[in-house]
Amino acid sequence: MPDTRTLKQLVLGRKDVQDLSDNEQELPPELMTVNMGPSHPAMHGTVRIVLTVDGERVVRGDVQPGYLHRCFEKESEHATYTQVFPYTDRLNYVSPMINNVGWAMVGEKLLGLTGKLPRRTEYIRVIVSEMSRMTDHLTCVGASAMELGAFTPFRYLLKCREWLYELLEKVSGARLTHSYVRIGGVSKDLPSDFHADLTLALDRIEGVLVECEGLLNNNKIFYDRMSGIGVMTREHAIATGCVGPIARACGVDYDVRRDYPYSIYPELEFDVPLGTTGDCLDRYLVRLEEIKQSIRMLRQCLAQIPDGPVMADDHRVALPPKRDTYNTIESMIRHFKHIMDGVRVPPGEAYAFVEGGNGELGFFVVADGTGRPYKAYVRSPSFVHLSTAGDLIRDHLIADVVPIFGMINMIGGECDK
Amino acid sequence: MSDTVTLTIDGKPVTVAKGTNVLEAAKTLGVEISAFCYHPGLPIVAQCRQCLVSIEKNPKLQPSCQQVVADGMVVHTTDPVSTLARKQQLEFTLVNHPIDCPICDKAGECTLQKLYFDHDNADSRVDTPKVHKAKVVDIGPHIVLDQERCILCSRCIRTCDHVSGQHQLEFAHRSDHELLTTAPGEQLDNPYSLNTVDVCPVGALTAKDFRFTMRAWELDATPSICNGCATGCNIEIHHKNERAWRLVPRHNPDVNDYWMCDEGRFTYHDLREHRLAGPTVEGLPASWDRAIASAAKRLGVFLKDPAQVGVVLSATCSNEDNYALARLAKEWKVGLVLVAGKPPVPARADGRLRVADVNPNAAGVKAIAAALGLATTPSFELDRAPPANLRALVVLGDVLPGFDAARLKELEVIAVASHERGVVTGARVALPIAAWAEAAGTVTNAKGRVQRMHAAFAPPGQAIAGWDAIARLGHATGVKLAWSHAREVWKDMVAQVAAWKDVTWAREVRPLALRFAGSRG
Repeated sequence: MPDTRTLKQLVLGRKDVQDLSDNEQELPPELMTVNMGPSHPAMHGTVRIVLTVDGERVVRGDVQPGYLHRCFEKESEHATYTQVFPYTDRLNYVSPMINNVGWAMVGEKLLGLTGKLPRRTEYIRVIVSEMSRMTDHLTCVGASAMELGAFTPFRYLLKCREWLYELLEKVSGARLTHSYVRIGGVSKDLPSDFHADLTLALDRIEGVLVECEGLLNNNKIFYDRMSGIGVMTREHAIATGCVGPIARACGVDYDVRRDYPYSIYPELEFDVPLGTTGDCLDRYLVRLEEIKQSIRMLRQCLAQIPDGPVMADDHRVALPPKRDTYNTIESMIRHFKHIMDGVRVPPGEAYAFVEGGNGELGFFVVADGTGRPYKAYVRSPSFVHLSTAGDLIRDHLIADVVPIFGMINMIGGECDK
Repeated sequence: MSDTVTLTIDGKPVTVAKGTNVLEAAKTLGVEISAFCYHPGLPIVAQCRQCLVSIEKNPKLQPSCQQVVADGMVVHTTDPVSTLARKQQLEFTLVNHPIDCPICDKAGECTLQKLYFDHDNADSRVDTPKVHKAKVVDIGPHIVLDQERCILCSRCIRTCDHVSGQHQLEFAHRSDHELLTTAPGEQLDNPYSLNTVDVCPVGALTAKDFRFTMRAWELDATPSICNGCATGCNIEIHHKNERAWRLVPRHNPDVNDYWMCDEGRFTYHDLREHRLAGPTVEGLPASWDRAIASAAKRLGVFLKDPAQVGVVLSATCSNEDNYALARLAKEWKVGLVLVAGKPPVPARADGRLRVADVNPNAAGVKAIAAALGLATTPSFELDRAPPANLRALVVLGDVLPGFDAARLKELEVIAVASHERGVVTGARVALPIAAWAEAAGTVTNAKGRVQRMHAAFAPPGQAIAGWDAIARLGHATGVKLAWSHAREVWKDMVAQVAAWKDVTWAREVRPLALRFAGSRG
């Protein structure tokens, strides 16, 4: 019997769609379950999404975090208040300075130091916080563009981030996990050439932002992949507790820095950008604008920052100077007690919150009068935002999961608490 | 007249027994008044002036440790005057204190550190050089004195007077040259000398045994009972990295108050010496299964005529271990039940804490054997009348005094012991068990008080709890003893020992990290 198969069938081992019988073409496709992550290049920070797909269309997405086993809250109960700072570095590890500031603020609230810190300390905290916000947004925007195929802006934006990281390394001694802030102040003063370095970096970053906007904003591919994708309504954002750039992209006019002002934010001029449609493009644009607002704030800070001490003059929180520690028994004991027993925080409960890279980052602490928290709780924005991911990706194509997930900007360290 | 007195401390009324001092009365309210020289177990001298409080209608501040409560007394501990007095007193105390915290063994559990941080926390105002004194004074076999660190509270002097009855320490010179030294012709060598190290609020007196070995805040504490003698002093085992670093007394007004003897403190060394780490058969290492099977096979031959088998209970082991073996002896219907223990040391007995019997559990073994209806013989009586038909011996513990070595060699000896020495070295089968600090259990002191020990750390090597090893041996010889925890052995046991029926098994205690306990002071 002669072989009736076409050459294509022989080579590819299957039929073309037009070769299928009518019956075969109409067969309903089965739902299929696909694992996306936990080890997937686009699943930042190890998260698993179990997708139920109908062909290319996502019917259901089951988002499963918890692969990092961070134990931030439990670990904090075993560490002194100061020893918790390195743990906060690893919450949102793309903007650790903001986490540092949030943790310091909760301790200061219990100690009654809020608003009583030296002015220079407050300025330094805002400077490093805004630099961290920029690194956060630069990473989010750059990585998302890269995942949609735009590799050049990724390299450009990470170059900017690296300039900021280098500066933060000069300030704190560590490129990524700074542990720079302390309860009652910061660990050391800014380096002498910081002013000029930051001004230069900001100028260069502004130039790069113009380049990247040119590459992305009017880019047909990028625009089509982002616009109308992952739309979240204002009501949905409020109902699920979304905050930060994601909520602002949906038109929720809320920014901790403006609405519950802390530190020296009331004295700075800045705008809070808002989106209208709540899609991925809006989230991208809001983040881009926030980078520019951060630059604006940093320039104001550099112009206004006063001289002075960087630590509150309060023996409850400040380590004695090394000279005294080695030469007087009083300072020696205080130093010992601060290091071994921790800063003694009076009994009580407090919640302090800051505008983190992803939105309201809050720390709740129950203190029992010792140097270690009795209970620590973190309100981490990524954890809340991730809970909306399942809804946002529904009825999108598998390919759209990537920009939606990228623009949620989940940070694993903050999500697993 | 009533036996109680009602007074007001910091605005809160409190009713305490007549004769209580203000400091103790405040403690019942949760108000901790700072003090150096006051110690609840010692006579009061009101010497450090750290506990001054203001009492209404009294023109001067009063030392709260010495001031006895009176009806209607109104005490203030946080008013500006007494607060200032506390601060100034601390400043005085620190004037000549050396900057030793980094090298001081007391750092982390130092009362001076704690009180300064709690009550003063101010900068130094001293610009004159400190008065220097001797740093390393060897004042006795166990203790080194640093005279610079001493804050002259006299707790140690009173401890020697009060606990051991020997006046061995004394102050000399005056003013800022005053220092602690040994009394003329004396050295600090009384058998309770190390209690002075515990009560020392600073690091002036340090134990040679402990100094420079471990930082206090690194240690974990587990409550236990000293196994050094039949007194059963309540202790805390301070341990880290699977080993004990020191033993300190734990307050129990019915047994040892705040104290224990030096000899008892050193018993922890024995936990790391000559330990039997794994089962042996004929002196060679074996697995647990093989060792148990071998022991059962050897015993099985003689158990056909149980009169050939002897069992040795041990006054050095816990009630649970002894009960397990006593149960086996009863089920096997053995011909001979001995009680072994270390020989008494009559010179130890001093009418205080030390007694002649150096076994922790002689009373417990006696009670268990009596409850199970076993006729026991003290082992040292054996050389007078060793039973001729004895062929096998199951021995708990490593001591078996009075037994002829040549005679022992002829026997099939199955040893269940924590240490590889004494009778264990010649045993045909040796089963390793946990020592006193490594397993949950109870011991009964000379007065019949049953006290609970907690497992501080894991036993070395393949050692398991004694009752468990004995139950495995029983199982292999056809005696079913189904226990999964020392608590179950305990339940079985108290059901049979009438005197213990009201004693309860204490709640399990997990080791407490001393760094969470804060300054112990």
